[in-house]
Amino acid sequence: MDTSNTPPATATPPVEDQRVWKAGRLEPMPIRKLPDAPPSVHILGPTVFLVALGVGMGESYMWPRLVLLFGPEIRWLFLIGVTLQAVVMLEMARYAMATGESIFSGAARVFKPLMWFFFVVAIAVYIWPGHLSAGAAAFEEITGIPWVVTAIAGLILVGVVFTLAKVIYNLLENVLSLLIGALVLGTAVVAAMVGSWGDVVTTISGMFSIGYLPAEAMTAAWFPVIVGACAFAGPSGMQQMWYTLHLRDSGAGMGVHQPKIRGLRHAGEEEERPNRGFMFDTDDPAEMAKWKGWRRWVTFDALLLFWGITMLVTISFTVIAQAAVRIDPAVRTAIQGDDREVALTAMSNAVSSAGSSVLGVVFLGFIALIGLNATLGLFDSFSRGQADMTYNFIPGTKKLGMSKLYAIFLWGVIIFGILILLFGPADGPSGILDTLAFLSTFAMGAYCVTLLLVNNRMLPKPIRPRWWSNVIIGFGAVFYLGMLFYSLFAYGVVVG
Amino acid sequence: MAGGLTLLAGQSTGMAGLAALALATPLALFGGLYSVLLGHGVFRPGTFGPVGLYWMAAFPVSRLAQEILAPTGGLVEGVGPFLAYQAMIALGFAIGFLWVHERAMPHWLMRRAGDNPLAKELLEKYLRFARVVSARKSARKGGR
Repeated sequence: MDTSNTPPATATPPVEDQRVWKAGRLEPMPIRKLPDAPPSVHILGPTVFLVALGVGMGESYMWPRLVLLFGPEIRWLFLIGVTLQAVVMLEMARYAMATGESIFSGAARVFKPLMWFFFVVAIAVYIWPGHLSAGAAAFEEITGIPWVVTAIAGLILVGVVFTLAKVIYNLLENVLSLLIGALVLGTAVVAAMVGSWGDVVTTISGMFSIGYLPAEAMTAAWFPVIVGACAFAGPSGMQQMWYTLHLRDSGAGMGVHQPKIRGLRHAGEEEERPNRGFMFDTDDPAEMAKWKGWRRWVTFDALLLFWGITMLVTISFTVIAQAAVRIDPAVRTAIQGDDREVALTAMSNAVSSAGSSVLGVVFLGFIALIGLNATLGLFDSFSRGQADMTYNFIPGTKKLGMSKLYAIFLWGVIIFGILILLFGPADGPSGILDTLAFLSTFAMGAYCVTLLLVNNRMLPKPIRPRWWSNVIIGFGAVFYLGMLFYSLFAYGVVVG
Repeated sequence: MAGGLTLLAGQSTGMAGLAALALATPLALFGGLYSVLLGHGVFRPGTFGPVGLYWMAAFPVSRLAQEILAPTGGLVEGVGPFLAYQAMIALGFAIGFLWVHERAMPHWLMRRAGDNPLAKELLEKYLRFARVVSARKSARKGGR
């Protein structure tokens, strides 16, 4: 590998390797040992964040809705979307695990303005508390407590918990794992009770009708909705980029050399944070063997946990939606409209009449759970990402420390959220909604391009991605940006 | 332990009465059997393949037991399609089961290891994994 080697000054071997890996114009990365890869699935699980963020309204509402409108054959687009996201996840992990840096730092090594673009997009898109509404509305259906009250209580609870936590990552991984475990088990049981072989066969066979696009889908009313649904298949917007921070903080790969972010109450215990990531010796066969172990580990996570769970939840919800229409055809009319809450309630009622009234409540409980997962995951990820960029690239902020910066962004977004819930439109003023939807999907195309640049230019040759992986990520850039701009120019609408 | 976990999954529907109980009971029994087999070394901790196959058989049987004891109308298409459908859903159930099981199992083993040699042996396996994590933490301290 291309490293500059400073020979040891004394005859005794040095305690630390003095070599460095030069990547871009930022500080070079010292060579350190790669830790051993975990032997099994259950030790580390940063994928839980991606699943928590990824299994959202796209899986539980948008895609079941499209299936009812256009038939199960439309699901080939979902298959492409989720598979693409699994490859993106593997490639994001490549840089983060090889260096212990976030993809934002990688972007800054290529071209700093690229990183600032993501900094600004994150604030513009994720400061609005709209994602809370569906979960809180489902909770209102169950308990009768007004959704604004639940949403505000939820925001404050998230802030307090993250402030008191000793190590935020550990707490969140445990909570999200249990919530998602309950969601996966429960969804499977509900789908087993209300669905049928016919439903699941059409749902799955529809995934292979590659190229199917009915005339109705190619209209100004529906094409932007399809573009949105493709972008929301799996994690959308900047969530894949934040995954690199979770990988680092879970200690995966070279992330082991980075300290963890602590809650504000424990900020004083924070360990000293290095200015840059690290690199391992890619010329050493023993290190490369460990690297292969880490790649196997993350591939398992990407395929089984991420791809498998996302696919399972969406198949289950689609089966439930199809069963709901069979039981009560009025659901189709409800689901055609734009009112998400009405459609979900109609599905819940249909499920109730299939099994028992409790099944309907369980169904709404899952929607509330999805809302809660998304809230926890998004608030943490947003604060983590912004704090990371601020700490590393805004002079003078290092004095504050990562934990305090994290708390500033967290409470900033919470206070803004509460004010908007009380006095303004939660999704943001309608005039800028289009811009935000555009930015969110545009960021996905942009991170595909960033990923290609970072992995192929900043990493040592032996651990760069294979050609086929580059082709898939390149296709991702064309897929997101192409559909987005086609929608914009052909129909004058961005994302539905 | 696993029995408790699967019961938890059934618990949401448990309040619906007999139908839910008829499903939760066999799921809990199969969950418990999985833990026993894990203790005897038939299954390895944290591996998905065998667990997926196990639940592909156990989950449809549990649902069939439920349909016989407290019918919910699932057998309208016939027994064959019913079992095939349940087997497919079972794979998803297996992912969730394994995930929750792996997170809860060590806590249970710590309580049982004192008077149960099998639990002690299984706990040792989990401890070996924990040592790997611990070794990585020491590497972190030495790395800077």
